[in-house]
Amino acid sequence: MELMTLMARKTLPASPDSTMTVVDALERANAHWNAGQLEQAESLCQRVLAVLPDQPDALHILGLIAHTCGNLDLAIGHLRKACLSPRVPALYLSNLAEMCRQKGALSNAEDAARRAVALDAGLVQAWGNLGIILQEMGQLEESAACLERVVAAQPEAATAHNNLANTYSRLGSLEKARAHYMRALELRPDYAEAQSNLASLLNQLGQFEAAAEAARLAIDLDPRLADAYVNLAGAEMNRMRLGEALRWVEALLSFSPLHGGGLAAKARILWQLDLMDDALATARRAVAASPQSSDTHNVLGQILQAMDFGNEALAAFDKAASLPGLPVAALANRAAALMEQGAMDAALAGFDAVIANHPRHVRSWANRVDLKRFAADDPDIDRMETLLTTTSDFNDQIALHFALGKAHLDAGQSGSAFAHFNEGNRMKRSTFALDIKASGRWMREIADTFSQSALEHLAGQGHPSDMPIFVLGMPRSGTSLIEQILASHPDVRGAGELLTMNRLASNLPGYPEGATGLTGEQLRQMGEVYLARLAPLAKGRRHVIDKMPANFMHAGLIRLVFPQARIIHCRRDAIDTCLSCYTRLFTTEQRFTYDLAELGQFYLDYQSLTDHWRAVLPASHFIEVDYEAVVDDLEGQARQLLAALNLPWDDHCLAFHKTSRIVRTASATQVRQPIYKSSVGRWKSYAKHLQPLLNVLERSTS
Amino acid sequence: MTLENMELDQKLELLMKEQRHEEAEILLRQQLATGTGPLSLWQNLARVIRAQGRIAEARDLQQQIVDAFPGDTVARFDLAESLLLLGDFARGWKEYRWRYQQPHTHSFERRVQHPRWNGSPIPGKTLLIHDEQGFGDSLQFLRLVSRAKTLSGANILLEVTPPLLPIASRMGCFDAIASRGDLLPAFDMHCELMSLPFVTKLAIDDLPGPVPYLSPDPERVAFWRKRLEWLPRPLVALVWAGNPSHANDANRSMQLSELAPLASLGLTFVAVQKGPAAKQAVGAPGGLKIELINRDINDFDDTAAILEVADLLISVDSAPVHLAGALGRPAWALLPFVPDWRWLLDRDDTPWYPSLRLFRQKRRGDWSTVVSKLCDALAAFRG
Repeated sequence: MELMTLMARKTLPASPDSTMTVVDALERANAHWNAGQLEQAESLCQRVLAVLPDQPDALHILGLIAHTCGNLDLAIGHLRKACLSPRVPALYLSNLAEMCRQKGALSNAEDAARRAVALDAGLVQAWGNLGIILQEMGQLEESAACLERVVAAQPEAATAHNNLANTYSRLGSLEKARAHYMRALELRPDYAEAQSNLASLLNQLGQFEAAAEAARLAIDLDPRLADAYVNLAGAEMNRMRLGEALRWVEALLSFSPLHGGGLAAKARILWQLDLMDDALATARRAVAASPQSSDTHNVLGQILQAMDFGNEALAAFDKAASLPGLPVAALANRAAALMEQGAMDAALAGFDAVIANHPRHVRSWANRVDLKRFAADDPDIDRMETLLTTTSDFNDQIALHFALGKAHLDAGQSGSAFAHFNEGNRMKRSTFALDIKASGRWMREIADTFSQSALEHLAGQGHPSDMPIFVLGMPRSGTSLIEQILASHPDVRGAGELLTMNRLASNLPGYPEGATGLTGEQLRQMGEVYLARLAPLAKGRRHVIDKMPANFMHAGLIRLVFPQARIIHCRRDAIDTCLSCYTRLFTTEQRFTYDLAELGQFYLDYQSLTDHWRAVLPASHFIEVDYEAVVDDLEGQARQLLAALNLPWDDHCLAFHKTSRIVRTASATQVRQPIYKSSVGRWKSYAKHLQPLLNVLERSTS
Repeated sequence: MTLENMELDQKLELLMKEQRHEEAEILLRQQLATGTGPLSLWQNLARVIRAQGRIAEARDLQQQIVDAFPGDTVARFDLAESLLLLGDFARGWKEYRWRYQQPHTHSFERRVQHPRWNGSPIPGKTLLIHDEQGFGDSLQFLRLVSRAKTLSGANILLEVTPPLLPIASRMGCFDAIASRGDLLPAFDMHCELMSLPFVTKLAIDDLPGPVPYLSPDPERVAFWRKRLEWLPRPLVALVWAGNPSHANDANRSMQLSELAPLASLGLTFVAVQKGPAAKQAVGAPGGLKIELINRDINDFDDTAAILEVADLLISVDSAPVHLAGALGRPAWALLPFVPDWRWLLDRDDTPWYPSLRLFRQKRRGDWSTVVSKLCDALAAFRG
């Protein structure tokens, strides 16, 4: 983290002459270098090298000058040469190590730093450089030991505390990390890097508002500190404010357009916004900008996976895992991709392998619970409970609560299961704002706007394509099941959940009321925009399913934009649906499922709106399927559904769980099983845990 | 970039180069009508608004740009110049620290291997203060060396550009002085001369500080007193052009012919003018009586001595104005419509120098009104 020069020695009076000794010249060169007089320092070093071409001190100063002027390769070249000297001071090796680290040549850096501390164990700065190099290589325990040594030697040095905190943060010792960041900031309140690192830590601790504030402060202290922008964007993403997140990443890229971390963050945001082509292009730019960064390959893999390029995704994860740093994220992503691709055994093996090496990798634990059923005496339950009590990472704690809830539920321990669900939901709900009444008002406005007469007024003027099939409803109401049944048909492909229709709607000025002023031309244009996203996913098939459940809000608009398209509304028992929502931690933005009373209210609003659609949309194009009926009579319901879609019968639809395709929603593991009836009327066993929900739903019926 | 964009850029560049700011503003506002557009267009909009003298409006826009893109150091420096011009020192000096993070200045930053002084007391330590930019800047801010000495309690090592070494040496509020490039004695911390306002939290009320803070060389004064003895009084020194390499030279410098109306006063002027513009004094226009002494002016000590002997300096915004102000000698500065930030707005005096009076352009490029006001003032001065 720091480069140092020899202590400024006593300087000679300013009278350069041609008979100066080498020692004189070097002392002068050093003094000029210290005073920022680079030209004079360089010229003296060159004079020395003209006489003694390998003189290490002159080479060292030239290396420092080249480094200051931004020429890292030249600097490393000079220092390497200086370090060939048998009497090389440890300091030069330490500086070479730091430059190699900056270059990304970590193993060279490690070699040089180890030589430096072997040569002079009292050179504190060399321990610091070694500690940072080991940190970047993922050798965190040894890194902490080196950096503890620096803090012990220089307890008043803010950078020492900051560096140590960085290692503790990566080790998951978040409270230790916090203490050292705070100490660094006490020693140096205007220390921008420490502020920014603290923001990253606060993100991990789930204190997103404080994280955003710390990152803003870091930017204020040093507006060119790239990491601070990435951390601010992270805090905004955690608060589900994607627009703000994107804004800060753009602000970073405006002055540092090739910043790998910034490009990776931007790719993640675009992915969350479902702007997949842009996300992919940005991830590829991130990889091109930082090819040695594990994280850029990781995000590329995740986006490829989300876009259904499974093999390329696995290749990207393999590459990410091969790079120095923390390959665990790549291995876990790889296993998650296998899970989505339906290779359940391989996925389970992948998660097990991650956990074997990194028993504290919570995301692997959390994904793993969906791949197995738990008995009461399963030792994994205890291991996860222990993990929960020892981790201070906020998002990890949430994930563990949901995972343990599921495990306890499997094991028939509903009391402990709901204790975990309640806590996980409470924590998640604390991270974002939601006005459930406003969302109800909005749905009523939509119903008022898309009235019978309004729909008739614009009927038939939209885009003539019947390619899209919209599967919608409440989340966890069987939309994945219906999509999987239909996508097993040779004429149909499943595209997963697309945000495109929602975006088209929100881009309409004054939506919903504004929509009544649309012209046929505008509707057809919207159809074109939507198809531009959908059609490439068809891969030769006639129909593509968009199973974004929340499109139930836009059924009226869909009817206008695509008058030929079929809309399938999935229905399921209200309480079973809400129970299923409440026990899931969604990866995509979903705000209304983390509080039972809000969930009940949302369900009622959803119900009123879909009642409206039933009344104003023709049954031929607004097709309703009951989850319970499908579970009871798969073949009968599937035949009815295909007939309603004007598709010929196909036996594959009954063996849907064998279909090889990506399923990336919360239901990924369930659609791989034959129909399971345990989910019907499931809620009755848990009624006592669902009282706030039942109160809301009952109030409406009484 | 599309063809349309290229044409737009070229057109804008031309309009701004020709100072057709009103037209440039219309064009920019058309492009930005939707409220969105590339950052560079917003920055140019702020510049053309500023060039038309609407400084507060420009500052607000510049502040918005900085809020949205905090890492844009060009925008931050633009903002600094507007804040300082509006007299907002607290925020202005803070943004002024970005002066070395501009595309054309990056290589000029002095990379000193010791920490920058932050304004706190460091008794017993040695503080290197080094000057940086134009002569005028150095002359204006040398006053802060004594302030830095008081606040730091340190030994002050002052480093100045060689032409200023003799005059700065006589200041006496430092412990050692060196010429830029010299081998320096050991020091502990450093600070750029023009970072002193920021780190010492300089407020307008702190100005002017002890004035005069520079003094002429008595021997040179004796020489010039004799050399100029035969000329009639009052004796007025004259400078009509600054260093032509200055970014805003076209706006701040004049042609000597524009000062021709001064001839009617029957005064004799001494040209302290240096550089290529000095030639204009040969066969001075309109019967202006100018004593050409520029060949005998070798350094700032000569100029300082002349200002000591003369009764008044009349000058465009250039180093001699600062020298006169620092010496406490009377001087009248002629300023363009949008002046450099140090002259503030809407006042004919300056908190920096009690002996200065400011004559401002009321319209862009209009020197004639300034000169006619100058004639009246000079007639009164002559008595």
